Amino acid sequence: MYFKLAWRNIWRNPRRTAVILLAVVIGVWNMIFAGALMRGVEVGMIKNSIATLTGNIQIHRKGYRHDPVVENSITDPKEVEAAFEKILPPNAIWTSRVRVNAVASNARHSSGITLVGIHPAREAGVSFIGQAINQGRYLVPDDTYGIVIGRALLDRFETKIGHKLVLMSPTPDRDIASRAFRIVGTFRAEMQSTEKRFAFVTMPAAQQMLQLKNSVSEFSIVLPNSLDNSRLASALQSVLPSNYYEISTWRDLLPMLDAYLKLSDGFIYIWFVVIFIAMGFGIVNTTLMAVFERMREFGLLKALGMKPFWIIREVLTEAFLILLLGMAVGNILGFVSVLALSERGIDLSALAAGTEFAGMSRMLYPVIYAKDAITANLVVFVLGLLVCLYPAIKAARFTPVEALTQT
Amino acid sequence: MTQGLHTPKLSVVILFLSIFTIFGLQAPAKAQDGQVLVEAAFNYLRDKASVSLVKMTVHRPDWQRVVTIKAWTLGEKESLFTIIAPPKDNGNGTLKKGREMWMYNPKVNRVIKLPPSMMSQSWMGSDFSNNDLAKSDNLINEYTHAVTGTETHEGKTVYIIESIPKPKAPEVWGMQRLKIREDNIFLEQAFYDEDLKLVKILNFMEIQTMDGKLYPKKWIMQKADEKGKYTIVEHKMITFKESLPAGFFTLSNLKNPRR
Repeated sequence: MYFKLAWRNIWRNPRRTAVILLAVVIGVWNMIFAGALMRGVEVGMIKNSIATLTGNIQIHRKGYRHDPVVENSITDPKEVEAAFEKILPPNAIWTSRVRVNAVASNARHSSGITLVGIHPAREAGVSFIGQAINQGRYLVPDDTYGIVIGRALLDRFETKIGHKLVLMSPTPDRDIASRAFRIVGTFRAEMQSTEKRFAFVTMPAAQQMLQLKNSVSEFSIVLPNSLDNSRLASALQSVLPSNYYEISTWRDLLPMLDAYLKLSDGFIYIWFVVIFIAMGFGIVNTTLMAVFERMREFGLLKALGMKPFWIIREVLTEAFLILLLGMAVGNILGFVSVLALSERGIDLSALAAGTEFAGMSRMLYPVIYAKDAITANLVVFVLGLLVCLYPAIKAARFTPVEALTQT
Repeated sequence: MTQGLHTPKLSVVILFLSIFTIFGLQAPAKAQDGQVLVEAAFNYLRDKASVSLVKMTVHRPDWQRVVTIKAWTLGEKESLFTIIAPPKDNGNGTLKKGREMWMYNPKVNRVIKLPPSMMSQSWMGSDFSNNDLAKSDNLINEYTHAVTGTETHEGKTVYIIESIPKPKAPEVWGMQRLKIREDNIFLEQAFYDEDLKLVKILNFMEIQTMDGKLYPKKWIMQKADEKGKYTIVEHKMITFKESLPAGFFTLSNLKNPRR
């Protein structure tokens, strides 16, 4: 009965209903879409950070993270590799690296960089460098003097492929090791700072230069499609002696990003509420108008013996139907527009300087999280009904006498 | 009459020609080993040991700074520099032993060992880099030298030597072109990048007798593409010694140099 009455009442004044519907549709669409954009930024940042030599889990010697010097290298990598054999799930991929701060110089320029000694084939699966070569070639295992640097560093040093780059870095006995490398290729990265920072050489070249024997600086594990790695981390912790090794997940390694993600969660919900407040005023206003317009009707209903509570229910049912309709359309619109954009992404290269400062990637792919969509709909539905309570109560309070005096 | 005059002239010409030919033949024979030339010149410049007083002028388009430095050197490995004027900078010192360098600043009473990151930076604000000092002997060990020509300077033969770093040498230069006079005096050291473009050039001038041997009194280091920026090192006094006491080049002497 209520539903039938409400449904018919809604369409008694289609234009007014359309206005409320529009407010709801735009509100819901905006919540879904803006949420998806923000999540897209997040996912891009996480992917980017994990691929930039971080990985899901890293293992260092204790102390390395506070003082990344060669003395704090893992001297027995075999022990860690044996632990990996036992514990890692089959889809995990890992590699080891030598990573030290060094100074690169040529005839005209010099600059501080991070020297990374890698296993070329293994590393390609773990970090961005495998797909990032844009000129020249990638390293091969017996490249004892080859080096791959970022495009931005190449430009800054006014040099070119085939030219020499002299790297200097302290050895474990506090001597200065220096070695001349030839640039064999350049890479492009999401961020220019990455291009300026990292220089890749082969593992044997780095170990030989720094007199490291078999030592490595870190192990990096990548677990596809998994962001919560604390369980695996603690499993590794139980196998490797904790007084020597330090096991960190990407959340430990990138505290800034972790904090940003937490902040961003809260921010999205605040955003939902802000949109709702704007939308809510529209809903209340229009519903209130409708109620006042139908004063005589409500008076008549009351005179016929309808209880105030029933009138409240009546008005709320109308609101419920409008909200439901608006949410359905808004959700469909939101999902369709996100789908359309997630295919090709949004190119932010024009704003590269700004996005880079914020640590975002150049391409933005909107992503809908189920929890965001549900929250958005819940907010609209619950708060929508709640604000309609005010006009509903107003309607319930009309007395037949009052209604009669109204023309 | 004309015939009569011609004959002695001709004989003189022939005499000179033959002398030149002898010298000309001798010169390449002597010059064949660029390595020997460079080592000899390097050892001549550094000598066994020396104590000197040097005025260093760092010139920039809008300012200029002059410091007076007392310097001790031993062979090609060890040296100690300390600033004695102006008073503001008095006591600032640099100690070099082999490839390592330390700097001392009396104001903070601290000795720092130069980390790799500072090695390619300029030494005391001059156009010399710390590497120029620390790795000066790389020229002997890490390069192959080839004599490519000769010219004359004050009546003496000057060998032009092109020094190319050995393939794996940790040297940033693509080439150095040296001019060494036959009496083992460096006249010029030019630094080129890998495209063989000139980066900077060190000229040795005002060759005169100092403490009993010919020595370039004035050295000018100049960046090729920055006009108006140069550093002049002028030797006020230099004494060459057989040796300096063992243990002279120490950190404690860096802090309290003997005057």
